[in-house]
Amino acid sequence: MRGRSGEQPPRALLSPERLSRARHVAAAPSWRRTSPPPIGCDAARATAAGAAIGRREGGSRGFPGDGRPGAAMASVHESLYFNPMLTNGVVHANVFGVRDWVTPHKMALLVLLSELGRAGSQLGLLERRRLNRLLLPLLQGPDMALSRLRKAIEECCPHLAGSVHIRLKLMAEGELKDMEQFFDDLSDSFSGTEPEVHKTSVVGLFLRHMILAYNKLSFSQVYKLYTALQQYFQKDEKKDGADENEMELTNPEELDGKMEKEELDGPLREEEIACSGPLSQKQAEYFLSQQASLLKNDETKALAPASLQKELNNLLKFNPDFAEAHYLSYLNSLRVQDVFSSTHSLLHYFDRLILTGAESKSNGDEGYGRSLRYAALNLAALHCRFGHYQQAELALQEAIRIAQESNDHVCLQHCLSWLYILEQKIFDSCVLLEHSVNKSLHFGLPYLASLGIQSLVQQRAFAGKAANKLMDALKDSDLLHWKHSLSELIDISIAQKTAIWRLYGRSTMALQQAQTLLSMNSLEAVNVGVQQNNTESFAVVLCHLAELHAEQGYFAAASEILKHLKERFPPNSQHAQLWMLFDQKIQFERAMNDGRYHIADSLVAGITALNSIEGVYRKAIVLKAQNQMSEAHKLLQKLLIHCQKIKNTEMVIRVLLSMAELYWRSSCHTIALPVLLQALALAREYSLQYLASETVLNLAFSQLILGIPEQALNILHMAIEPVLAHGAVLDKGCAMFLVAKCQVASAASYTPQKKIEALESAILNLNEAKTYFAKVDCKEQLRDVLYFQARLFHTLGRTQERNKCAMLFRQLHQELPAHGVPLINAFK
Amino acid sequence: MAAAAMVAAGSSDFSDLREIKKQLLSVAERSRERGLQHSGKWAAELAFALEPLPLSELPPPPVLTEEDARDLDAYTLAKSYFDLKEYDRAAYFLQGCKSQKAYFLYMYSRYLSGEKKKDDETVDSLGPLEKGQVKNEALRELRVELSKKHKAQELDGFGLYLYGVVLRKLDLVKEAIDVFVEAAHALPLHWGAWLELCNLITDKEMLKFLSLPDTWMKEFFLAHIYTELQLIEEALQKYQSLIDAGFSKSTYIISQIAVAYHNIRDIDKALSIFNELRKQDPYRIENMDTFSNLLYVRSMKPELSYLAHNLCEIDKYRVETCCVIGNYYSLRSQHEKAALYFQRALKLNPRYLGAWTLMGHEYMEMKNTSAAIQAYRHAIEVNKRDYRAWYGLGQTYEILKMPFYCLYYYRRAHQLRPNDSRMLVALGECYEKLNQLVEAKKCYWRAYAVGDVEKMALVKLAKLHEQLNESEQAAQCYIKYIQDIYSCGEVVEHLEVSTAFRYLAQYYFKCKLWDEASACAQKCCAFNDTREEGKALLRQILQLRNQGETSSTDVAAPFFLPASLSASNTPTRRVSPLNLSSVTP
Repeated sequence: MRGRSGEQPPRALLSPERLSRARHVAAAPSWRRTSPPPIGCDAARATAAGAAIGRREGGSRGFPGDGRPGAAMASVHESLYFNPMLTNGVVHANVFGVRDWVTPHKMALLVLLSELGRAGSQLGLLERRRLNRLLLPLLQGPDMALSRLRKAIEECCPHLAGSVHIRLKLMAEGELKDMEQFFDDLSDSFSGTEPEVHKTSVVGLFLRHMILAYNKLSFSQVYKLYTALQQYFQKDEKKDGADENEMELTNPEELDGKMEKEELDGPLREEEIACSGPLSQKQAEYFLSQQASLLKNDETKALAPASLQKELNNLLKFNPDFAEAHYLSYLNSLRVQDVFSSTHSLLHYFDRLILTGAESKSNGDEGYGRSLRYAALNLAALHCRFGHYQQAELALQEAIRIAQESNDHVCLQHCLSWLYILEQKIFDSCVLLEHSVNKSLHFGLPYLASLGIQSLVQQRAFAGKAANKLMDALKDSDLLHWKHSLSELIDISIAQKTAIWRLYGRSTMALQQAQTLLSMNSLEAVNVGVQQNNTESFAVVLCHLAELHAEQGYFAAASEILKHLKERFPPNSQHAQLWMLFDQKIQFERAMNDGRYHIADSLVAGITALNSIEGVYRKAIVLKAQNQMSEAHKLLQKLLIHCQKIKNTEMVIRVLLSMAELYWRSSCHTIALPVLLQALALAREYSLQYLASETVLNLAFSQLILGIPEQALNILHMAIEPVLAHGAVLDKGCAMFLVAKCQVASAASYTPQKKIEALESAILNLNEAKTYFAKVDCKEQLRDVLYFQARLFHTLGRTQERNKCAMLFRQLHQELPAHGVPLINAFK
Repeated sequence: MAAAAMVAAGSSDFSDLREIKKQLLSVAERSRERGLQHSGKWAAELAFALEPLPLSELPPPPVLTEEDARDLDAYTLAKSYFDLKEYDRAAYFLQGCKSQKAYFLYMYSRYLSGEKKKDDETVDSLGPLEKGQVKNEALRELRVELSKKHKAQELDGFGLYLYGVVLRKLDLVKEAIDVFVEAAHALPLHWGAWLELCNLITDKEMLKFLSLPDTWMKEFFLAHIYTELQLIEEALQKYQSLIDAGFSKSTYIISQIAVAYHNIRDIDKALSIFNELRKQDPYRIENMDTFSNLLYVRSMKPELSYLAHNLCEIDKYRVETCCVIGNYYSLRSQHEKAALYFQRALKLNPRYLGAWTLMGHEYMEMKNTSAAIQAYRHAIEVNKRDYRAWYGLGQTYEILKMPFYCLYYYRRAHQLRPNDSRMLVALGECYEKLNQLVEAKKCYWRAYAVGDVEKMALVKLAKLHEQLNESEQAAQCYIKYIQDIYSCGEVVEHLEVSTAFRYLAQYYFKCKLWDEASACAQKCCAFNDTREEGKALLRQILQLRNQGETSSTDVAAPFFLPASLSASNTPTRRVSPLNLSSVTP
């Protein structure tokens, strides 16, 4: 709640190493709550469908089940990570009171310190430095088992570890008075003319805290502490014995593994949590912030939902006041899409939070009111996440009203961004977004502003605004990101660029951007130590990458990428739908290429479930391929009307193309022409270059059939270049095939000499087409090419080559059933 | 002897009250021997309600076995230590005792010693997180030992009961239920086992699947659990049949009936029963908190004040007393003091749920919403099924002007009490504020259908219809409302009645039903705020009547009732919660 927008530095509760990490963890949630439409990502097209995602919802009456949140939702999820209490990376200390407590672990540290003081001068410089580096994380970290502590000390100075162990042993196996004596002696380190420890140093403060806490203990508490110490020590002894016996059985790495910072920082191992029973306060805090950051950044590494919930329940049973656990349980329930328990946990959390907010004097009434606002806002986010848009709107209205009443502009900005997300489901409104961007800049919320810009870019890209302006805008916001090192937004920005380039049909640029993001990540891991692994940006980029590879016929690579996606985003995780869709689309394309229409047909259902528009489109394609023209036409008509209504231009063009194809397949070329021209105009207007060139190919084909091959050749020159540069292999093959056909057709009027030349070059083009088709395994097209080539060879009188082609053709022809489409007449 | 009791308790009818009395007396004695004070008290109370037995029929003193005789000294010594709450000492001297009685006392002292230490421990723990971790250390050992005995089938009814308690404390609910059922079979007369079972059963379904011994004790158990599960009708029936069987003097049954009436908000009946109870048992403290709630609801200050002072004299350090005093202060609008007393009640027994909720109410009165929320949340933590706490949370957020946010809480309350009109009206109001009129209408309608306590649902529904220009429905609602008000004999609020008449007069006027219109207009004249309007309308009617005398006025539409309204009489049966909106939890 306190770090308004994450810009405040985190309180130095953690070790230096962890500090940076804490800042990261802490800051992110608070920004995230802002996060409006992360538009970004999916932003662009991913294929037509992608484009549709964000906007489709509006008028999708005809397509039930069309509720997939799509682009904007990415952020929604993320912003759920906003947790006012975790702003400092750790749970706010207020919940527990600031008092320190003496625990056996702390006592072990005290022993270490006193030994350090005693041995002081005898220690080597290197050992000393290592010990000093070790001390800070120990003082500020969670309690740990004695064996772990000892190993840590041994790493630095084996001699010291031994003496610490002996002192502890003496104390634990001795009498209560040994412990009392120990604490009496502790305060001596401050006295003397040259005290060993400075009173205000980190170590000095720790010592004084501990002495104070010890002195405050009541009689029975002192005894309890002593028994706790004995248990602490005995547990270690026992474990030691067990370890020696089962050295081979237990994890050997764990024993001789080095006690490194990573291990200290690393996630608590599952069995460790399970067996440790109730966690100490610090451990609990640590556990919560750790799991929260894992959920946010790398869900697969976090505990499984069920076991995490078990842990949380355990935690709450022992301390029901531990409100943050409710928040984490809310996030956890979100993972498994459980509306009921997530609502329950969220509200419980805020009920608790309101309590602490009111109690802390610093915030007073202000903090209390604030948590109310954010409670409503979070509820809106929750409903939005589950697709209850109406409920979300009501909750949002409430948040806005309360925020307005208390003049909280920052909260209002968050509300505005959310409002945009919600409105987006109903109709496009740039107005809100522009307001949001302006205001956010005014209130100094760079994160919010940037996200706003990104959404605007996304929206404008769909609306066909000039590409250079969009890229400029993105570049400007990138500058902001780098300045404020908003790594998350940088990721989104790159993913967005990838998507936009794909939308425009520049696959090489898209490929380059995707690779940039993927390799940049590895750089970041070194620098910051936080790897944001399961953000939507990565999912989007990887999906595009997979599809790009599949388009080029590298199916093995594509499936490799998809396999990786599956590991990174397990099927029940949030962004899993994305790769599922892409996976099915790739499979669909392959099935279509192979002519296995029944398989393609079976995939349609899966695609429809994930994205209904795409599903309908694919269904039409399958119908078309199966020669069920009138059904396909009906479906396409419906789809066209729907897409026009929701302004999904990309899909409109694709539908127009398919319709044109239907027309010329039915030999109605004259009807196809105006449709194609309409598609071309649209594609040009929205600068969807790739679709434009595809339209040109279709146009050229129609002209060819209509008997004006020269004209066709002319316009083909226009399209062939982008197709070869950016197109999918299949399209390249089709284009080359078409060129060859046009060449042959126009050669009819040439002189014999010129004709032979033309035919020769046509054969070359056909060869090229053949290699393309072979790459993607398109047997049907291959067959056509071979037939055509054989005819050409025949005309040229090269019998041997002709026979070879004819033989290959025959082989293929026996394999494939003929579909009754005149061979020469098909362009695709 | 135990066998004899078991056989005797096998009959499930109440024909032989003498036999029952004998059984009760003997089980009271046996419970007392084992330090189970509450069960002993319960049995003794019930026995007191029956006719005294002649000397010849008094149950014989329990027969001592060889084992009992051997352990007699240790038992006698330990029992006296036990009574003085020196549990460890009692356990020490009972070590190695073999007789059932001594063994039970041994285990029971160890259990109680653990519990006592746990309570003491909570005060000085080593850290805030440890606070929740304080456990009864003895539980684990007890469980191991008892489960061994249990497997060997060496436990008698009391032993099984203790085993069940240990299991429950270890949160092994399923096992605990099984063991309690077994205990009830082994010794049906022991009320403690039944009572524990009541606490563990959360719904009717669970009850159905239990195989319970077929004894007359089962009737008491069923009556009790029906009350717990808010199945008041069934509970009242059971209690009535128990009274008919001859327990009419039992204060226990009387108090349970009073509580049941309280639960269905039949305040007058509950009050009269409580008054009766106070006459019979003037020094009773149990259930007096419920009584004070009733007095509070009726704002009976003198009675409440008398009760509070009376109880304070009897024992001021009882949870119930604190609650009554809290209610008393609350009624006098001294909310700080009231909260203080509720806090004291909680200190005496942190699991005393009612106090958390009441404290929440007090904080609400003091406008300390955050403290109220906290108190309610505590109440819910103690018992998730506390509808009042959910309702209170809803109210708090409603006061904070978060109508959407509070929907969730009201809905929870509604789910717990589907036929309580107050939650439905509250839900309806929230929906109205959110402009979700369809849902609001549903809520008001259901509130009316389940029997509206405050009689406001119909007016609100009528106003909604009015807003939506559904004049016919609005008129019907007003008619029904007026009928309701007059049929129950008291005019609750003049304002609403007058608005109803005013609307009806205008409605009939518009429909050109002059007779009805003038009747209603005349009624309007009886109220201050609508008098002028009524008169004006009357004049208009007169005028129009004279004009259109000739035209058709004989389309006499009666004071009609729509079919839907008249068909639905108020069901007191438990109904399923309203399905308000599929997506909201």
